[in-house]
Amino acid sequence: MSYALQTLWHERPRYASGVLAVTFSAVLIALQCGLLLGLFKITSIPIDFASAGTDRTLWVGSTAVPSVDLGKPIPASYLSRVAGRPGVGMPELYVANFANFTKPTGGTELCFLLGSRLDGDSAAAATVLTPQMRAALSEPFTVVLDESDYAKLKLDHPYGRPKINGKEVTVVGTVKGVKSLAAPWMFCSLHTARQLLGYVLPPDHATYLVAVCDTPARAREVARELRAEYPDDMTAYSGTDFSTGSRWYWLFRTKAGFAIGFAAVLGLFVGAVITGQTLYSATAASAKEFAILLALGIPRWRVYLMVLAQSFWVGVVGVALAYPICLALREAARLGSVDVDLRWEVLAGTAAVTLLTALAAGLWALRSVRTIEPMDLLR
Amino acid sequence: MPAVVTSTTPTLRGVGLTKTYGDGSARRAALKAVSIDLRPGELALLMGPSGSGKSTLLAVLSGLLEPDSGQVLAEDEGELRDVWAMTGKQREDYRLRTTGFVFQGYNLFPALTARQQLEIVLKWGGYAGGSEARRRADEMLDKLGLAPNRHKKPAYLSGGEKQRVAIGRALVKDPSFVFADEPTSALDWENGQRVMELLRDAAHDRRASILVVSHDHRLMPYVDAYYHLEDGHLEERGRG
Ligand SMILES: Nc1ncnc2c1ncn2[C@@H]1O[C@H](COP(=O)(O)OP(=O)(O)OP(=O)(O)O)[C@@H](O)[C@H]1O
Ligand SMILES: [Mg+2]
Repeated sequence: MSYALQTLWHERPRYASGVLAVTFSAVLIALQCGLLLGLFKITSIPIDFASAGTDRTLWVGSTAVPSVDLGKPIPASYLSRVAGRPGVGMPELYVANFANFTKPTGGTELCFLLGSRLDGDSAAAATVLTPQMRAALSEPFTVVLDESDYAKLKLDHPYGRPKINGKEVTVVGTVKGVKSLAAPWMFCSLHTARQLLGYVLPPDHATYLVAVCDTPARAREVARELRAEYPDDMTAYSGTDFSTGSRWYWLFRTKAGFAIGFAAVLGLFVGAVITGQTLYSATAASAKEFAILLALGIPRWRVYLMVLAQSFWVGVVGVALAYPICLALREAARLGSVDVDLRWEVLAGTAAVTLLTALAAGLWALRSVRTIEPMDLLR
Repeated sequence: MPAVVTSTTPTLRGVGLTKTYGDGSARRAALKAVSIDLRPGELALLMGPSGSGKSTLLAVLSGLLEPDSGQVLAEDEGELRDVWAMTGKQREDYRLRTTGFVFQGYNLFPALTARQQLEIVLKWGGYAGGSEARRRADEMLDKLGLAPNRHKKPAYLSGGEKQRVAIGRALVKDPSFVFADEPTSALDWENGQRVMELLRDAAHDRRASILVVSHDHRLMPYVDAYYHLEDGHLEERGRG
């Protein structure tokens, strides 16, 4: 065991505040990121709920579309660009567009239409649509929406009929787990979507082409090929990339990214100051022992290295403690039906950033080593 | 100045050393043209009243405190060199090669075992690593009668044992010069005697020059040479 680690263990109470400060900033950062990623999952619901799964699907849309809700119509004839590639299933059309929803009681809201094929082997149809709902949706001008939006849109009102883009529609069912941030998702058939959108969607156009690939790797590969072949009038992503891209886009579009950035920097700063102070006072407390080594001619950089090693271990222990705390808080949040998305990138990124901060605190604490003089032993 | 060194040739020589602290009315001369010779294989004792400049002289001779004037000539790698004409880095290397220290406070790392207190010097000083460092540390601890205490941390050692570990730390790299400032004053007489015996044996067996600073006249029978410092003036009072 290294001398640094041994010292840490022997003087646990002294180093505890530094370790806890690291844990605090790591938990703060991981939860901030996880909460926002969880919240922004909503923006990629059409991709994440595709029947064929997220990672094996291929999404083709208008040029440089940054997020799934911002696709512009593309010609259905692009199907031929995708069809027939090895390892790629038959592509299907998908319509995704904002529309005006008129509540039964009057007053309008934005909603978001998601029109797909509805048969059993459709790749893009949402997993939450049961066979019964799909059958019901084959009737024109019918929609399904999340139960959380039902009352919000005054659909529980006994009189009057809702309209989308001025055309009366019938709600044939509600589903769970596809909440919206602002514009409620309206699941419907391709046909209904076309009828409701009218001139917004030119004839023989769709918003996306969606196909299933044999493997996630193949989906990525085909997406790359298509981007290279048709850079000017369309773009292609694997479901996974498009989903992540949509979330990041809104994260930064809404400045929420800056909010986490700010909170994270604040957390890191507090953590760094406390850790630095802990290391500083610990090193100052060992000044006489270090001074003996310097008197014996041992180079000062050895002592620097020891302090940096201590800061490294403070970081490692702090991050290790943060991990179970984050997982526990995620479970607690889940009970309140809040989704905290602690994907490995969040955890690894948090670990890296906090470790670097601990090391920076160690560098700061080196000031106390710089002032150690062997002569002090003679006073 | 190259020199053939015989057993009686001084291996550390202070010539005309002066040191003044402070300026103006606070000016105080701690050393006034002090000269001293330390011979190999000799244990020397430096005594004198409090504030007479004993620690100052020890620091100047050992390469820790620069004198205002005078030279410290040390035999190092077969020639005599002026310690205070060296660059800081050279002096650090010189101390690493040649010098050991023992102080009144033991200054042991609380987290490390007796063995590790010695190993750290060998490893960080680039003397030996791994099992070789362990072997040399254990050998030294055995000589100091500390074999049963190898794995003990300072909190579990008596004051005498702690000071012996500190002596082990000073001796483990086999230095030519050892400087001890009040090594016995925190100990009872019995442990103090033990420490002096160990230092004397180290001087005689390893042919090291050892300088001990103390107030305690009872230490005189243990030493080969005895100096008295008062008012910044040094006087050799006896030789065993
Ligand atoms: N850094 C310093 N600045 C100013 N004066 C100092 C300093 N160090 C020592 N002195 C003074 O120099 C004189 C000699 O000090 P020194 O520590 O060498 O004495 P000493 O003989 O070791 O005393 P003691 O037996 O009490 O340890 C003392 O008067 C002391 O006050
Ligand atoms: Mg003194």
